[in-house]
Amino acid sequence: MYFDPNEYLLNPFISFLNWVVVVGALTFVVLFVSMLNLLTTKGMSGIGIFFDELGGMAADLFQLSPRRIWALTRLTYTEAIRRKALAVFVVFGLLFMFAGWFMGDSKEIKPDQVKVYISFVLTAISWLTLPVVLLLCCFGIPEDIRLRSIHTVVTKPARRVEIVLGRMIGIWLIGCLVLTVMAIVGHFWIVRQIPADSQPLLTCRVPVYGTEMEFLDREGNSARSGVNVGDIWIFRSYIEGATKARARWRFIKVDESVLDSDGNLNFENSFSAFRSYKGDMTRPLFYDIKLYNPEKNLAYTTDPQPVNEFRHKLDKIPRKVTVDDVQYDILKDFVTANKDLLIEVSCIDREQYIGMARSDLFIRMPDRPFWMGYWKAILGISLTLLLITMIGVSASTMVKGPIAAVLTFVIYFLSLKDNHQFMDQLVFGQVQGGGFLESVYRLVMHLGPSAELPANPAFAVIQFFDWLLNNFLWLCRHVIPYSQYFNMPEFVANGFDVPLDTSIIPSLLVTSAFIIPCVVMGYFALRIRELESK
Amino acid sequence: MTNMTSQQRKLVYLIGIVVLLIPIIWLSLPSDGKDAPGGVLSQLRSQYELGEADLGDVDASSAAMNFALLGMRGMAVNVLWKDLDQQKDTKRWAEMQATTESIVRLQPHFEKVWDFNGWNLAYNTSAEWDAVPDRYYWVKQGAKFLKRGVERNKRSTELYYRTGKVIQHKVGYADESADYRKFFVSDPDPVFKNGPDPVVNPEAKDNFLVGREWFEAACVRELARPQHILDRSLFRSTPARCLFDYAQALQKEGKFGEETRAAWDHARKDWTESYGRETFHALIGPEESDIMLEMTAEEIKQQAGTPDDELRVRKAVDAYQKMTNYRYWRTRALAEAEPEMSEAHRFVFDAKQAYKAQEFDNARTAAFKGMEGFDKILKRDEYSSLTDEDILCEECLLGWKIWDDIYQVSGDKIPEEFPLKWLLQMKSDNSQIMGNVNKQFKRLFLDNK
Repeated sequence: MYFDPNEYLLNPFISFLNWVVVVGALTFVVLFVSMLNLLTTKGMSGIGIFFDELGGMAADLFQLSPRRIWALTRLTYTEAIRRKALAVFVVFGLLFMFAGWFMGDSKEIKPDQVKVYISFVLTAISWLTLPVVLLLCCFGIPEDIRLRSIHTVVTKPARRVEIVLGRMIGIWLIGCLVLTVMAIVGHFWIVRQIPADSQPLLTCRVPVYGTEMEFLDREGNSARSGVNVGDIWIFRSYIEGATKARARWRFIKVDESVLDSDGNLNFENSFSAFRSYKGDMTRPLFYDIKLYNPEKNLAYTTDPQPVNEFRHKLDKIPRKVTVDDVQYDILKDFVTANKDLLIEVSCIDREQYIGMARSDLFIRMPDRPFWMGYWKAILGISLTLLLITMIGVSASTMVKGPIAAVLTFVIYFLSLKDNHQFMDQLVFGQVQGGGFLESVYRLVMHLGPSAELPANPAFAVIQFFDWLLNNFLWLCRHVIPYSQYFNMPEFVANGFDVPLDTSIIPSLLVTSAFIIPCVVMGYFALRIRELESK
Repeated sequence: MTNMTSQQRKLVYLIGIVVLLIPIIWLSLPSDGKDAPGGVLSQLRSQYELGEADLGDVDASSAAMNFALLGMRGMAVNVLWKDLDQQKDTKRWAEMQATTESIVRLQPHFEKVWDFNGWNLAYNTSAEWDAVPDRYYWVKQGAKFLKRGVERNKRSTELYYRTGKVIQHKVGYADESADYRKFFVSDPDPVFKNGPDPVVNPEAKDNFLVGREWFEAACVRELARPQHILDRSLFRSTPARCLFDYAQALQKEGKFGEETRAAWDHARKDWTESYGRETFHALIGPEESDIMLEMTAEEIKQQAGTPDDELRVRKAVDAYQKMTNYRYWRTRALAEAEPEMSEAHRFVFDAKQAYKAQEFDNARTAAFKGMEGFDKILKRDEYSSLTDEDILCEECLLGWKIWDDIYQVSGDKIPEEFPLKWLLQMKSDNSQIMGNVNKQFKRLFLDNK
């Protein structure tokens, strides 16, 4: 099983700085584009208009009326219902009626298969609600402008900011309504699909991960990683048995709260086994866990434990342990003065290997009920809806519906994990074969990505344009949100609770970062564009 | 057109629709039994047996999914294959299995899809797991998957063969085969209450006998639809070879009584009287002619018209016999029916058990008796050709290895002359045989087998 929640770990200070940078950059981009638009349409007088509008917007912000926003919200909501937005329930119903056919035999359910059920429900809900919201938010205002029904609003004492906010809130609310109904049905569907004896598999584990992990090689020297056993996937690193090879974790801020109700310290692992020879296949490979405190020169090692590959293995260590006939308290004697707990894992079997990654060993706190994680995942989806609504509504104030829909979809598509990572690779020059034009050149000339290119002026021009495009991409990379933070369903599907620090707070920050630029953009577009044009 | 009113335009559209519908209805008229064969498409479908029901069991969900995707099936399948590969690399087995399910729903009649994924589950995925029951679970999943493939593609010769191959080869010859074979009749999953998994083994039979049934079914289908896996003579030998596998497995598990002798006898009869009498097309001179692997001189003469052709037929039979190792298995089965041979096997088995239990005197005595038994059998003219085959030679030399090792360890002087010395001298340069003997000998140090 693969899941590394630490991948998304954020430093609070850096996160805040990033948030400030993103908000600032987005607002700047919006204002810059607005001013450019005014300059091209109105000439030099556009500068004056721009600053007048900026002042007007500031005045609007101080005179916002919740009553008017709510009225516009209700208007949007009613409009969406009339446009048959709720027809999506038909597709949802069909999907869930026949989903069981594609999910395999639920009588034979294995722990890992629960993940498939949860993933299916949460993915289906996401992919059904996102298009509804996308279409509603992108076609609402352009349609109002086309039918000129927007005049019935703008001629009222409603401010432009209120129109934009009312739209956003209205569409988000209808998205949330659809989402909530689907989530309730989805929850019952999951519970019903999982047989009664497998119900305990529906849980939310609460892990405490080690902040640092290091390896020791077979000589006992510090190493960046363990042994590579030839696996394509280099997520795990392996330690050799019956040598000085070790994997070490440091858990910080360890106190009473990590113990369970019986006072045990629970370590859960998902180590992997690799045999350099098969040997006795009926005998599993063994590891042991050592707790050590260098300050007191004290160490406690557990009995050898069998590796339970591709499953979770729980090792309970009692609070009171005996070392050389002397009883010690784990928290008092093994936790260092800095409240750190140091753990060392070794493989017992000679010439055999055990593989592990940082997230393969964690302290397991008392579990939380499944519904808690499930609804947090729904929160993640609702935040994605809000983000799309904001982008879609503000885009629809500037361009026509279909264009706004394509633009919003492309931004969302680029925000997905793999796409964002590819963008990162392009920006940081990690993709072989150069930038856009260079790649085209290589394709046309049948040159491999590692082939040397001729040093001539034409190629210098290509590289210059690629440099420009790359810088534009750098800007896009900072403006396009990283939707992986919103991917809370992945935690729940893997049986974990959705953590506050690595998922909920980052997604809230990203969403809030878009509020100001999107509202500003919507306001400017409605102020400066010709509402008479169809 | 521009001068037409809206109503007129709609009327024109309607007429156009009706006109286009006529050929479509004519082409796709459904069949209504023999009297009314239906439209052209229906007739062609029946002629080439391309209807869903003709190909195998109908899966409503699969058909619905393909219909709903319209022309996007290819794209969806590509994405799923990409996901499958990634899930396999990142060891997300449950997701990989779910993706596999989706792929076969989209490509239910693409036999290679069933073949590839069945193999992937039984051979690749099982090898990724460490615990033997877990490995067996995935082997079983592969066999079950292929079985479903057969149900969806009943005319497929190759899928029957592949299912048989997993049950015969993976269960019977993997490194963990001793456990797998036990699990095949007594599944480790408590759900089956010490019985077999009824999906793969409904009658609690030995894996080689179940494998044989699948191979037999494949051979029946092969008559109507050729396969492209093996030469036909080898393909059709698979049911009979399963009986040899079964008999050998009984010996390996220490069963040397009447049951084992009967198994060898059954295998021999099947080999010579059933498989040996099957006809194969061989190139005799410029033309093809029918030959059998078990042909008398008279039959050869009859088959060939001229003396020249007689020589050619003889050569062709010889070539086919060599390709299928026919004579070896015939001789081996005859030899195994001899009580002396059975005793020799028993002594070597006893020697292995005693060696594991560190009863070295008993092991040395049993190994020597086994060597004597094999020596006598292999020196007989009718069985001398058995030394050409590795498996039996390895067993003989393992007996010698145990005997020799006990002498080495105890420090006793090794006798100058001993049974099978000639075989040892003959095979000592054969690194593959000697390597296998050493490997098997080392495994005796493991106390589990």
